[in-house]
Amino acid sequence: MDPLYIKLAIGGLAVLGSIGLVFGIGLALAAHKFAVEINPKVEAVLEVLAGAQ
Amino acid sequence: MVKRFKTYSVIMGLMMALLLSGCETEHRFIKKVAFKGDDGIAVTFAAPVDDGWAKDISNFIVSEKPDPDIMLDIKDTALNPDRTKLTISFKDSLNQNMPHILTIKRIISKGRPQGTATLTVKKLYFGYLLSILIGAMIIHNFVFTKYLGLCVFFGTSQKKSTAVGMGITFTFVIVFASLMSWFFYQFVLKPFRLDYLQIVVFIGMVSLSVQGADTILRKVNPALFKAFGVYLVLVIANCIILAVPLILADNEYNMVESFMLALGAGIGFLIALFLMSSVRERLELANVPVSYRGLPIAFIVAGLFALSFMGFSGMSIF
Repeated sequence: MDPLYIKLAIGGLAVLGSIGLVFGIGLALAAHKFAVEINPKVEAVLEVLAGAQ
Repeated sequence: MVKRFKTYSVIMGLMMALLLSGCETEHRFIKKVAFKGDDGIAVTFAAPVDDGWAKDISNFIVSEKPDPDIMLDIKDTALNPDRTKLTISFKDSLNQNMPHILTIKRIISKGRPQGTATLTVKKLYFGYLLSILIGAMIIHNFVFTKYLGLCVFFGTSQKKSTAVGMGITFTFVIVFASLMSWFFYQFVLKPFRLDYLQIVVFIGMVSLSVQGADTILRKVNPALFKAFGVYLVLVIANCIILAVPLILADNEYNMVESFMLALGAGIGFLIALFLMSSVRERLELANVPVSYRGLPIAFIVAGLFALSFMGFSGMSIF
């Protein structure tokens, strides 16, 4: 294979991977910063209920 | 108070710059150059020019900017009585959406040569932006002329309140997502020659902006978040929101043009949803044949809307 293509593909992987990483961390930080306290009992009750739709 | 005044003056300055950018010229002897009517270009000189020179149409060469070797046929030229304003008329009408290159050779004013001028003739930029906005909103309405985003369109147009809520959410998300996609296309994908991955990246950008809006809105404005409800997530599944970044990438729009197109697409979707929901609320009361109730009659109504929106096709503003 042409080394140019390999270079291009690796470059693409690196660029898209870093974009994904940066935004993933950004979203995780945002979720942490803007976290809303949910009563854990609500989730527990929902878990017990029948879950069709 | 002072701060507000400052912001206003900055905005006014920006608008003036936009307006003025349409009438600058590249030659000191020519004050203004603009399209006139369908098939003419008007040139204003700083001083009276010679009659005999202006009559000779071989002094003028006009072409569209993308193909400089195709000269347009000039019919004749006419000089105003005060000999400072020249109107060049053409055999065919001009495509004014395209910038034109006008070369004026060996200008002679009062017997003295003033050199050769090469000028760009284009429409006012502000008008161009407005035509992008109205075009995306009504003339090329994404729902009624391109049949995009139909799933969300039919899914959320049963009630007027949900339709308007969806339309407003959609407008916010599409403006944010397309500006971000534009930025990444221009400054990351193009320099790294990765434009063949544009669809993947644009889908990522859309889901990212929806997820971000979801997370932040949940904390900052729970009332609005409740009002948006499930629609915020539904926006991801809309294809208009993916079509707009692809159109931006194809047409090489700049940032302001991208903003206008995204805003127009969002408001156009809002208009479509509002119209459709108004009709569907009335349809509840109408006596529709049993087999047509629900979705089938909605499709027929959408077809009628599309027919009426065809009336706008081919219109051009400014």
